[in-house]
Amino acid sequence: MGSPVKKIMLCSSEKEIFSVEEQVMVQHSVIINNMIEDGSYNHEESKIPLDCVDSKTLKKVIDYCTHHTHHHNDNQEDLEAWDAQFLNVDSNGLYDLLMAANYLEIRNLLDLIYGTIKNMIKGKKIDEIRRIFNIKDHGFTPEEEEQNRKEYPHFY
Amino acid sequence: MEKKSIHDILPLELIRRILLRVPASHLFRLKCVSKCWYSLISDPHFAELHFHHSPASTNALFCIKNGNVAYFVYLDALVFNDGNDASHVKEVCTPFKTKPPSHFEVLGSCRGFVLLHRHPQCLVVWNPLTGSTRRISYSGIDSRMYNGFRLPKSARLYGFGYDASRDDYLVVVAWCERRRQDHLDCLSLRTNSWIHLDAALPKPLRVSKDTSTGLFLNGAIHWVPWPIKDHRDAILIFDMKSRTFSTMSEPEPAFSYESYPGIVLLGGCLALYYDCLDSCSTDIWVMKEYKVQSSWTLYQIPCLFFLPLYLSNNGDIIGEIILSDKIEKKKFLMSWEESCSHVLNIFVLRLTSVQPMLCIERVSCHSLVTLRMRIIRT
Repeated sequence: MGSPVKKIMLCSSEKEIFSVEEQVMVQHSVIINNMIEDGSYNHEESKIPLDCVDSKTLKKVIDYCTHHTHHHNDNQEDLEAWDAQFLNVDSNGLYDLLMAANYLEIRNLLDLIYGTIKNMIKGKKIDEIRRIFNIKDHGFTPEEEEQNRKEYPHFY
Repeated sequence: MEKKSIHDILPLELIRRILLRVPASHLFRLKCVSKCWYSLISDPHFAELHFHHSPASTNALFCIKNGNVAYFVYLDALVFNDGNDASHVKEVCTPFKTKPPSHFEVLGSCRGFVLLHRHPQCLVVWNPLTGSTRRISYSGIDSRMYNGFRLPKSARLYGFGYDASRDDYLVVVAWCERRRQDHLDCLSLRTNSWIHLDAALPKPLRVSKDTSTGLFLNGAIHWVPWPIKDHRDAILIFDMKSRTFSTMSEPEPAFSYESYPGIVLLGGCLALYYDCLDSCSTDIWVMKEYKVQSSWTLYQIPCLFFLPLYLSNNGDIIGEIILSDKIEKKKFLMSWEESCSHVLNIFVLRLTSVQPMLCIERVSCHSLVTLRMRIIRT
Protein backbone atom coordinates (compact mmCIF):
# COMPACT_ATOMS: atom_id res chain seq x y z
CA MET A 1 0.00 0.00 0.00
CA GLY A 2 1.31 3.40 -0.92
CA SER A 3 0.95 6.35 1.38
CA PRO A 4 -2.39 8.16 1.09
CA VAL A 5 -2.49 11.00 -1.41
CA LYS A 6 -1.60 14.24 0.37
CA LYS A 7 -4.28 16.89 0.10
CA ILE A 8 -4.32 20.62 0.62
CA MET A 9 -7.25 22.93 1.27
CA LEU A 10 -8.03 25.95 -0.85
CA CYS A 11 -10.61 28.48 0.27
CA SER A 12 -12.49 30.59 -2.27
CA SER A 13 -13.72 34.16 -1.82
CA GLU A 14 -17.12 32.71 -0.79
CA LYS A 15 -15.29 30.71 1.96
CA GLU A 16 -16.02 27.45 0.19
CA ILE A 17 -13.32 24.85 0.86
CA PHE A 18 -11.82 22.77 -1.95
CA SER A 19 -9.65 19.77 -1.17
CA VAL A 20 -7.04 19.12 -3.87
CA GLU A 21 -4.12 16.74 -4.30
CA GLU A 22 -1.09 18.63 -3.12
CA GLN A 23 1.01 17.37 -6.02
CA VAL A 24 -1.45 18.79 -8.55
CA MET A 25 -1.21 22.32 -7.20
CA VAL A 26 2.50 22.19 -6.41
CA GLN A 27 3.26 21.20 -9.97
CA HIS A 28 1.29 24.04 -11.51
CA SER A 29 1.19 26.95 -9.12
CA VAL A 30 4.44 28.70 -8.32
CA ILE A 31 2.83 30.38 -5.29
CA ILE A 32 1.50 27.18 -3.74
CA ASN A 33 4.76 25.40 -4.47
CA ASN A 34 6.58 28.15 -2.56
CA MET A 35 4.16 27.93 0.36
CA ILE A 36 4.65 24.18 0.69
CA GLU A 37 8.41 24.41 0.28
CA ASP A 38 8.97 27.14 2.84
CA GLY A 39 6.72 25.34 5.32
CA SER A 40 4.14 28.11 5.65
CA TYR A 41 1.40 25.56 4.94
CA ASN A 42 0.52 23.26 7.81
CA HIS A 43 -1.27 20.13 6.59
CA GLU A 44 -3.19 19.64 9.83
CA GLU A 45 -4.63 23.12 10.21
CA SER A 46 -4.01 25.43 7.26
CA LYS A 47 -6.16 26.29 4.36
CA ILE A 48 -4.98 28.63 1.66
CA PRO A 49 -7.29 31.64 1.44
CA LEU A 50 -7.82 32.85 -2.11
CA ASP A 51 -9.85 35.96 -1.42
CA CYS A 52 -9.85 37.19 -4.98
CA VAL A 53 -10.89 33.88 -6.60
CA ASP A 54 -14.56 32.91 -6.56
CA SER A 55 -15.73 29.30 -6.26
CA LYS A 56 -16.70 28.94 -9.92
CA THR A 57 -13.29 30.12 -11.09
CA LEU A 58 -11.37 28.14 -8.47
CA LYS A 59 -13.16 24.98 -9.54
CA LYS A 60 -12.11 25.63 -13.14
CA VAL A 61 -8.52 26.27 -12.10
CA ILE A 62 -8.42 23.03 -10.11
CA ASP A 63 -9.93 21.18 -13.09
CA TYR A 64 -7.20 22.55 -15.31
CA CYS A 65 -4.36 21.60 -12.98
CA THR A 66 -5.79 18.15 -12.28
CA HIS A 67 -6.29 17.36 -15.94
CA HIS A 68 -2.82 18.56 -16.91
CA THR A 69 -1.23 16.56 -14.09
CA HIS A 70 -2.95 13.28 -14.90
CA HIS A 71 -2.98 13.63 -18.67
CA HIS A 72 0.37 15.21 -19.35
CA ASN A 73 1.36 12.15 -21.38
CA ASP A 74 -1.65 12.46 -23.70
CA ASN A 75 -0.88 13.43 -27.24
CA GLN A 76 -0.69 17.14 -28.01
CA GLU A 77 -3.84 17.15 -30.09
CA ASP A 78 -6.00 15.73 -27.32
CA LEU A 79 -4.60 18.18 -24.81
CA GLU A 80 -5.19 21.11 -27.14
CA ALA A 81 -8.75 19.97 -27.76
CA TRP A 82 -9.31 19.71 -24.02
CA ASP A 83 -7.82 23.20 -23.48
CA ALA A 84 -10.04 24.68 -26.19
CA GLN A 85 -13.11 23.13 -24.58
CA PHE A 86 -11.90 24.31 -21.16
CA LEU A 87 -11.61 27.92 -22.32
CA ASN A 88 -15.00 27.90 -23.98
CA VAL A 89 -16.32 30.45 -21.48
CA ASP A 90 -17.71 33.97 -21.77
CA SER A 91 -15.37 36.92 -21.58
CA ASN A 92 -16.08 37.58 -17.89
CA GLY A 93 -15.18 33.99 -17.13
CA LEU A 94 -12.01 34.35 -19.15
CA TYR A 95 -10.94 37.49 -17.26
CA ASP A 96 -11.65 35.79 -13.94
CA LEU A 97 -9.54 32.81 -14.96
CA LEU A 98 -6.75 35.10 -16.07
CA MET A 99 -6.78 36.93 -12.74
CA ALA A 100 -6.76 33.64 -10.82
CA ALA A 101 -3.97 32.12 -12.94
CA ASN A 102 -1.99 35.31 -12.47
CA TYR A 103 -2.57 35.31 -8.71
CA LEU A 104 -1.55 31.67 -8.34
CA GLU A 105 1.17 31.98 -10.99
CA ILE A 106 0.09 29.04 -13.09
CA ARG A 107 2.32 29.64 -16.06
CA ASN A 108 0.94 27.23 -18.64
CA LEU A 109 -2.61 28.36 -17.93
CA LEU A 110 -1.49 31.99 -18.24
CA ASP A 111 0.12 31.27 -21.60
CA LEU A 112 -3.03 29.54 -22.74
CA ILE A 113 -5.28 32.45 -21.76
CA TYR A 114 -2.95 35.15 -23.11
CA GLY A 115 -2.80 33.23 -26.38
CA THR A 116 -6.59 32.94 -26.53
CA ILE A 117 -7.13 36.64 -25.90
CA LYS A 118 -4.40 37.50 -28.40
CA ASN A 119 -6.25 35.46 -31.03
CA MET A 120 -9.46 37.35 -30.20
CA ILE A 121 -7.61 40.56 -31.10
CA LYS A 122 -5.55 39.52 -34.10
CA GLY A 123 -6.82 40.62 -37.48
CA LYS A 124 -9.95 42.25 -36.08
CA LYS A 125 -11.26 45.71 -36.84
CA ILE A 126 -11.30 48.29 -34.06
CA ASP A 127 -15.09 48.34 -33.74
CA GLU A 128 -15.09 44.57 -33.46
CA ILE A 129 -12.40 44.59 -30.77
CA ARG A 130 -14.33 47.19 -28.80
CA ARG A 131 -17.42 45.00 -28.98
CA ILE A 132 -15.56 41.83 -27.98
CA PHE A 133 -14.00 43.48 -24.94
CA ASN A 134 -17.02 45.67 -24.28
CA ILE A 135 -15.00 48.86 -24.40
CA LYS A 136 -17.66 51.56 -24.38
CA ASP A 137 -15.56 54.35 -23.02
CA HIS A 138 -12.48 54.42 -25.22
CA GLY A 139 -11.18 57.60 -23.62
CA PHE A 140 -10.48 59.49 -26.83
CA THR A 141 -12.03 62.93 -27.26
CA PRO A 142 -14.63 63.10 -30.05
CA GLU A 143 -12.07 65.09 -32.07
CA GLU A 144 -9.33 62.48 -31.62
CA GLU A 145 -11.73 59.67 -32.48
CA GLU A 146 -12.88 61.46 -35.61
CA GLN A 147 -9.30 62.19 -36.60
CA ASN A 148 -8.35 58.50 -36.21
CA ARG A 149 -11.34 57.32 -38.20
CA LYS A 150 -10.52 59.78 -40.94
CA GLU A 151 -6.85 58.88 -41.04
CA TYR A 152 -7.23 55.10 -40.82
CA PRO A 153 -10.71 54.28 -42.13
CA HIS A 154 -9.64 50.70 -42.94
CA PHE A 155 -8.90 50.03 -39.25
CA TYR A 156 -12.55 50.42 -38.27
CA MET B 1 -24.94 38.56 -16.09
CA GLU B 2 -23.85 41.88 -17.45
CA LYS B 3 -20.87 41.75 -19.73
CA LYS B 4 -18.09 43.81 -18.24
CA SER B 5 -15.48 45.88 -19.96
CA ILE B 6 -11.98 44.48 -20.07
CA HIS B 7 -10.79 47.79 -18.63
CA ASP B 8 -12.98 47.40 -15.54
CA ILE B 9 -11.74 43.92 -14.69
CA LEU B 10 -8.16 43.47 -15.77
CA PRO B 11 -5.40 45.57 -14.27
CA LEU B 12 -3.29 47.48 -16.77
CA GLU B 13 -0.35 45.16 -16.25
CA LEU B 14 -2.34 42.15 -17.50
CA ILE B 15 -3.65 44.06 -20.51
CA ARG B 16 -0.07 45.04 -21.24
CA ARG B 17 1.04 41.41 -21.09
CA ILE B 18 -1.69 40.46 -23.56
CA LEU B 19 -0.62 43.21 -25.94
CA LEU B 20 3.00 42.12 -25.66
CA ARG B 21 2.01 38.90 -27.38
CA VAL B 22 0.30 40.53 -30.34
CA PRO B 23 2.55 40.69 -33.44
CA ALA B 24 4.00 44.12 -34.10
CA SER B 25 2.21 44.38 -37.42
CA HIS B 26 -1.15 44.41 -35.59
CA LEU B 27 -0.16 46.69 -32.75
CA PHE B 28 -0.13 49.92 -34.67
CA ARG B 29 -3.82 49.53 -35.37
CA LEU B 30 -4.58 48.61 -31.77
CA LYS B 31 -3.50 52.07 -30.67
CA CYS B 32 -6.89 53.26 -31.88
CA VAL B 33 -8.88 50.90 -29.65
CA SER B 34 -8.72 53.08 -26.58
CA LYS B 35 -6.67 55.76 -24.94
CA CYS B 36 -5.47 53.19 -22.43
CA TRP B 37 -4.21 50.82 -25.14
CA TYR B 38 -2.73 53.79 -26.94
CA SER B 39 -0.58 54.76 -23.97
CA LEU B 40 0.41 51.17 -23.22
CA ILE B 41 1.60 50.58 -26.79
CA SER B 42 3.22 54.00 -27.21
CA ASP B 43 5.43 53.56 -24.16
CA PRO B 44 9.06 53.21 -25.35
CA HIS B 45 9.61 50.59 -22.67
CA PHE B 46 6.79 48.55 -24.20
CA ALA B 47 8.45 48.68 -27.61
CA GLU B 48 11.69 47.42 -26.13
CA LEU B 49 9.95 44.62 -24.22
CA HIS B 50 7.91 43.67 -27.26
CA PHE B 51 11.02 43.39 -29.36
CA HIS B 52 12.52 40.87 -26.95
CA HIS B 53 9.23 39.11 -26.49
CA SER B 54 8.49 38.25 -30.09
CA PRO B 55 11.21 36.36 -31.89
CA ALA B 56 8.57 34.49 -33.84
CA SER B 57 7.67 37.41 -36.08
CA THR B 58 10.92 37.45 -38.00
CA ASN B 59 9.73 35.64 -41.05
CA ALA B 60 9.04 38.48 -43.41
CA LEU B 61 11.11 38.98 -46.51
CA PHE B 62 11.65 42.42 -47.83
CA CYS B 63 11.50 42.45 -51.60
CA ILE B 64 12.22 45.20 -54.01
CA LYS B 65 10.68 45.22 -57.44
CA ASN B 66 12.41 47.16 -60.18
CA GLY B 67 14.53 48.90 -57.59
CA ASN B 68 11.78 51.20 -56.48
CA VAL B 69 8.76 49.35 -55.06
CA ALA B 70 8.99 47.45 -51.80
CA TYR B 71 7.04 44.47 -50.52
CA PHE B 72 6.90 42.42 -47.43
CA VAL B 73 6.36 38.76 -48.08
CA TYR B 74 5.12 36.90 -45.04
CA LEU B 75 6.84 33.61 -45.56
CA ASP B 76 5.03 31.46 -43.07
CA ALA B 77 1.74 32.34 -44.71
CA LEU B 78 3.28 31.78 -48.12
CA VAL B 79 4.63 28.36 -47.31
CA PHE B 80 1.51 27.36 -45.45
CA ASN B 81 -0.81 28.31 -48.30
CA ASP B 82 1.44 26.94 -51.05
CA GLY B 83 1.68 30.43 -52.44
CA ASN B 84 -1.84 30.38 -53.81
CA ASP B 85 -3.25 33.52 -52.31
CA ALA B 86 -1.87 36.99 -52.22
CA SER B 87 -2.56 37.80 -48.58
CA HIS B 88 1.06 37.15 -47.68
CA VAL B 89 2.33 39.91 -49.92
CA LYS B 90 1.97 43.45 -48.74
CA GLU B 91 3.22 46.46 -50.59
CA VAL B 92 4.84 49.03 -48.34
CA CYS B 93 5.20 52.70 -49.11
CA THR B 94 8.85 53.52 -49.44
CA PRO B 95 10.14 56.68 -47.82
CA PHE B 96 10.75 58.17 -51.26
CA LYS B 97 7.83 60.23 -52.40
CA THR B 98 9.01 61.23 -55.87
CA LYS B 99 7.24 59.93 -58.96
CA PRO B 100 8.45 57.70 -60.42
CA PRO B 101 9.83 56.42 -57.12
CA SER B 102 13.55 56.79 -56.64
CA HIS B 103 15.84 53.88 -57.16
CA PHE B 104 17.17 52.54 -53.90
CA GLU B 105 19.20 49.71 -52.47
CA VAL B 106 19.04 47.88 -49.16
CA LEU B 107 22.31 47.96 -47.25
CA GLY B 108 21.29 46.12 -44.13
CA SER B 109 18.82 45.78 -41.32
CA CYS B 110 18.81 45.67 -37.58
CA ARG B 111 16.07 45.47 -34.96
CA GLY B 112 13.30 46.29 -37.41
CA PHE B 113 15.09 49.14 -39.12
CA VAL B 114 16.12 48.87 -42.74
CA LEU B 115 19.11 50.81 -43.97
CA LEU B 116 18.48 52.08 -47.48
CA HIS B 117 20.75 53.86 -49.87
CA ARG B 118 19.59 56.28 -52.46
CA HIS B 119 21.73 57.69 -55.18
CA PRO B 120 23.78 59.82 -54.99
CA GLN B 121 24.77 59.97 -51.31
CA CYS B 122 21.84 59.57 -49.07
CA LEU B 123 21.36 56.96 -46.39
CA VAL B 124 17.88 56.40 -45.06
CA VAL B 125 17.12 54.50 -41.89
CA TRP B 126 13.57 53.32 -42.16
CA ASN B 127 11.14 51.38 -40.01
CA PRO B 128 8.77 49.94 -42.63
CA LEU B 129 6.21 49.12 -39.99
CA THR B 130 5.78 52.55 -38.48
CA GLY B 131 7.00 54.48 -41.53
CA SER B 132 9.46 56.48 -39.47
CA THR B 133 12.54 57.55 -41.40
CA ARG B 134 15.77 59.32 -40.84
CA ARG B 135 17.91 60.68 -43.68
CA ILE B 136 21.65 61.08 -43.43
CA SER B 137 24.11 62.39 -45.93
CA TYR B 138 27.55 60.84 -45.90
CA SER B 139 29.45 63.60 -47.60
CA GLY B 140 31.90 63.52 -44.66
CA ILE B 141 33.68 60.57 -46.14
CA ASP B 142 33.40 61.96 -49.60
CA SER B 143 35.35 65.11 -48.88
CA ARG B 144 38.46 63.09 -48.12
CA MET B 145 38.20 61.03 -51.24
CA TYR B 146 39.68 61.84 -54.58
CA ASN B 147 36.80 60.32 -56.47
CA GLY B 148 33.23 60.41 -55.36
CA PHE B 149 32.57 57.90 -52.64
CA ARG B 150 29.46 55.82 -53.24
CA LEU B 151 27.92 53.17 -51.11
CA PRO B 152 27.88 50.30 -51.48
CA LYS B 153 30.42 49.98 -54.28
CA SER B 154 33.20 52.07 -52.76
CA ALA B 155 33.13 50.14 -49.51
CA ARG B 156 35.11 47.03 -48.73
CA LEU B 157 32.79 46.20 -45.91
CA TYR B 158 29.72 47.84 -44.56
CA GLY B 159 27.19 47.00 -41.93
CA PHE B 160 24.41 48.34 -39.77
CA GLY B 161 24.09 47.50 -36.11
CA TYR B 162 22.99 48.53 -32.66
CA ASP B 163 25.23 49.42 -29.75
CA ALA B 164 23.19 48.70 -26.63
CA SER B 165 25.81 50.18 -24.30
CA ARG B 166 25.36 53.61 -25.87
CA ASP B 167 21.82 53.10 -27.17
CA ASP B 168 23.07 54.05 -30.61
CA TYR B 169 22.75 52.69 -34.13
CA LEU B 170 25.92 52.66 -36.21
CA VAL B 171 26.59 52.38 -39.90
CA VAL B 172 30.07 50.91 -40.18
CA VAL B 173 32.01 51.42 -43.40
CA ALA B 174 35.49 50.13 -44.27
CA TRP B 175 36.94 51.63 -47.42
CA CYS B 176 40.23 52.08 -49.17
CA GLU B 177 41.59 55.39 -50.31
CA ARG B 178 42.90 55.12 -53.84
CA ARG B 179 44.23 51.64 -53.17
CA ARG B 180 46.58 52.87 -50.50
CA GLN B 181 45.26 53.38 -47.05
CA ASP B 182 42.42 51.55 -45.42
CA HIS B 183 39.92 53.50 -43.41
CA LEU B 184 37.26 52.54 -41.00
CA ASP B 185 34.50 54.98 -40.22
CA CYS B 186 31.23 54.68 -38.47
CA LEU B 187 28.24 56.91 -38.55
CA SER B 188 26.53 57.33 -35.21
CA LEU B 189 22.84 57.94 -35.65
CA ARG B 190 22.54 59.27 -32.13
CA THR B 191 25.03 62.06 -32.61
CA ASN B 192 24.53 62.28 -36.36
CA SER B 193 28.27 62.35 -36.90
CA TRP B 194 31.00 60.29 -38.48
CA ILE B 195 33.54 58.76 -36.14
CA HIS B 196 36.90 57.66 -37.46
CA LEU B 197 38.01 54.39 -35.90
CA ASP B 198 41.55 53.13 -35.48
CA ALA B 199 40.66 49.45 -35.37
CA ALA B 200 43.03 47.50 -37.58
CA LEU B 201 41.44 45.92 -40.61
CA PRO B 202 42.55 42.45 -41.60
CA LYS B 203 44.67 42.37 -44.76
CA PRO B 204 44.40 41.74 -47.56
CA LEU B 205 40.71 42.35 -47.42
CA ARG B 206 38.60 41.33 -50.32
CA VAL B 207 34.97 40.50 -50.05
CA SER B 208 32.73 39.52 -52.87
CA LYS B 209 29.91 41.90 -53.58
CA ASP B 210 27.39 39.53 -52.05
CA THR B 211 29.14 39.23 -48.75
CA SER B 212 30.25 42.79 -48.13
CA THR B 213 27.00 43.44 -46.26
CA GLY B 214 27.44 42.66 -42.60
CA LEU B 215 25.05 40.65 -40.54
CA PHE B 216 24.08 42.03 -37.15
CA LEU B 217 23.79 39.55 -34.29
CA ASN B 218 24.58 39.58 -30.58
CA GLY B 219 25.87 43.14 -30.50
CA ALA B 220 28.29 42.65 -33.37
CA ILE B 221 28.41 42.81 -37.16
CA HIS B 222 29.67 39.70 -38.97
CA TRP B 223 31.21 39.26 -42.39
CA VAL B 224 32.85 36.43 -44.29
CA PRO B 225 35.95 37.88 -45.90
CA TRP B 226 37.43 36.28 -48.98
CA PRO B 227 39.83 34.73 -49.71
CA ILE B 228 40.17 32.97 -46.40
CA LYS B 229 43.84 32.71 -45.51
CA ASP B 230 43.35 30.69 -42.40
CA HIS B 231 40.23 28.84 -41.39
CA ARG B 232 40.56 30.30 -37.92
CA ASP B 233 39.84 33.74 -39.36
CA ALA B 234 36.90 32.76 -41.50
CA ILE B 235 34.42 35.07 -39.85
CA LEU B 236 35.20 38.70 -39.25
CA ILE B 237 33.43 40.31 -36.30
CA PHE B 238 33.07 43.97 -35.43
CA ASP B 239 31.98 44.44 -31.83
CA MET B 240 29.67 47.44 -31.50
CA LYS B 241 30.57 48.15 -27.90
CA SER B 242 34.37 47.91 -28.01
CA ARG B 243 34.39 49.03 -31.68
CA THR B 244 37.13 46.57 -32.53
CA PHE B 245 37.53 43.66 -34.91
CA SER B 246 38.03 40.06 -34.00
CA THR B 247 37.75 36.83 -35.92
CA MET B 248 36.07 33.53 -35.41
CA SER B 249 36.89 30.11 -36.77
CA GLU B 250 34.82 28.36 -39.39
CA PRO B 251 33.25 25.02 -38.38
CA GLU B 252 36.14 23.00 -39.81
CA PRO B 253 38.73 23.73 -42.48
CA ALA B 254 36.20 22.55 -44.99
CA PHE B 255 35.66 25.30 -47.51
CA SER B 256 37.14 24.79 -50.85
CA TYR B 257 38.56 28.17 -51.52
CA GLU B 258 36.78 28.49 -54.82
CA SER B 259 33.47 28.67 -53.03
CA TYR B 260 32.17 31.96 -51.81
CA PRO B 261 30.63 31.32 -48.44
CA GLY B 262 27.66 33.45 -47.50
CA ILE B 263 26.38 34.34 -44.10
CA VAL B 264 22.79 34.32 -42.87
CA LEU B 265 20.71 34.20 -39.72
CA LEU B 266 18.70 31.00 -39.31
CA GLY B 267 16.45 30.74 -36.30
CA GLY B 268 18.46 33.44 -34.57
CA CYS B 269 21.73 31.54 -35.15
CA LEU B 270 24.64 32.51 -37.32
CA ALA B 271 24.96 30.24 -40.35
CA LEU B 272 27.50 29.89 -43.17
CA TYR B 273 26.50 28.42 -46.50
CA TYR B 274 28.45 27.59 -49.60
CA ASP B 275 28.18 25.50 -52.73
CA CYS B 276 29.90 22.18 -52.62
CA LEU B 277 30.72 21.30 -56.21
CA ASP B 278 31.98 17.79 -55.42
CA SER B 279 28.80 16.62 -53.82
CA CYS B 280 26.52 18.91 -55.84
CA SER B 281 25.06 20.27 -52.66
CA THR B 282 24.74 23.44 -50.67
CA ASP B 283 26.24 22.98 -47.26
CA ILE B 284 24.79 25.06 -44.45
CA TRP B 285 26.69 25.18 -41.19
CA VAL B 286 24.67 26.57 -38.32
CA MET B 287 26.32 27.76 -35.12
CA LYS B 288 23.57 26.79 -32.70
CA GLU B 289 25.22 28.45 -29.74
CA TYR B 290 26.96 31.71 -30.37
CA LYS B 291 30.75 31.39 -30.27
CA VAL B 292 30.56 27.75 -29.18
CA GLN B 293 32.72 25.97 -31.73
CA SER B 294 31.32 22.53 -30.96
CA SER B 295 27.79 23.68 -31.72
CA TRP B 296 28.33 24.01 -35.48
CA THR B 297 25.78 21.74 -37.14
CA LEU B 298 25.74 20.78 -40.82
CA TYR B 299 22.67 20.74 -43.02
CA GLN B 300 23.15 19.58 -46.59
CA ILE B 301 20.74 20.74 -49.25
CA PRO B 302 20.98 18.39 -52.23
CA CYS B 303 21.38 21.02 -54.92
CA LEU B 304 23.74 23.84 -55.83
CA PHE B 305 23.08 27.57 -55.56
CA PHE B 306 20.62 27.36 -52.71
CA LEU B 307 20.27 30.62 -50.88
CA PRO B 308 18.90 30.01 -47.38
CA LEU B 309 16.47 32.71 -46.30
CA TYR B 310 15.09 31.77 -42.94
CA LEU B 311 14.02 29.05 -40.57
CA SER B 312 10.25 28.72 -40.56
CA ASN B 313 8.22 28.41 -37.39
CA ASN B 314 7.87 24.72 -38.21
CA GLY B 315 11.62 24.30 -38.24
CA ASP B 316 12.12 24.13 -42.00
CA ILE B 317 14.95 25.88 -43.77
CA ILE B 318 13.35 27.97 -46.47
CA GLY B 319 15.47 29.25 -49.29
CA GLU B 320 15.49 30.21 -52.89
CA ILE B 321 17.23 28.92 -55.93
CA ILE B 322 17.85 31.17 -58.86
CA LEU B 323 17.40 29.29 -62.09
CA SER B 324 17.85 31.28 -65.26
CA ASP B 325 15.75 34.41 -64.90
CA LYS B 326 13.04 32.85 -62.81
CA ILE B 327 13.05 32.92 -59.08
CA GLU B 328 11.65 29.84 -57.54
CA LYS B 329 11.07 29.23 -53.92
CA LYS B 330 12.03 25.85 -52.70
CA LYS B 331 10.99 24.66 -49.37
CA PHE B 332 13.29 22.19 -47.81
CA LEU B 333 11.94 20.34 -44.89
CA MET B 334 14.87 19.74 -42.65
CA SER B 335 14.69 18.63 -39.13
CA TRP B 336 16.22 21.39 -37.05
CA GLU B 337 16.63 19.25 -33.99
CA GLU B 338 18.50 16.37 -35.57
CA SER B 339 21.90 16.76 -37.06
CA CYS B 340 23.16 16.66 -40.61
CA SER B 341 21.74 15.71 -43.96
CA HIS B 342 18.26 14.91 -42.96
CA VAL B 343 16.36 16.07 -45.98
CA LEU B 344 12.82 14.91 -45.66
CA ASN B 345 11.13 16.41 -48.61
CA ILE B 346 11.52 19.07 -51.25
CA PHE B 347 8.91 21.04 -53.03
CA VAL B 348 8.73 24.19 -55.01
CA LEU B 349 6.79 27.34 -54.44
CA ARG B 350 6.51 30.09 -56.95
CA LEU B 351 6.33 33.67 -55.93
CA THR B 352 4.31 34.63 -58.97
CA SER B 353 2.57 37.54 -57.35
CA VAL B 354 5.70 39.57 -56.80
CA GLN B 355 7.72 38.67 -59.85
CA PRO B 356 9.93 39.94 -61.23
CA MET B 357 12.01 40.64 -58.19
CA LEU B 358 15.40 42.07 -58.65
CA CYS B 359 16.46 41.90 -55.12
CA ILE B 360 15.47 39.97 -52.07
CA GLU B 361 16.70 41.06 -48.73
CA ARG B 362 16.46 39.32 -45.45
CA VAL B 363 15.55 41.93 -42.93
CA SER B 364 15.45 41.49 -39.24
CA CYS B 365 12.17 41.26 -37.47
CA HIS B 366 9.46 43.84 -37.22
CA SER B 367 9.69 46.10 -34.29
CA LEU B 368 8.12 49.21 -32.92
CA VAL B 369 11.37 50.59 -31.60
CA THR B 370 11.91 54.17 -32.62
CA LEU B 371 15.23 55.79 -33.24
CA ARG B 372 16.44 57.98 -30.48
CA MET B 373 18.61 60.74 -31.72
CA ARG B 374 20.23 63.97 -30.92
CA ILE B 375 20.70 66.65 -33.50
CA ILE B 376 24.02 68.41 -33.30
CA ARG B 377 24.37 71.66 -35.11
CA THR B 378 27.72 72.07 -36.76
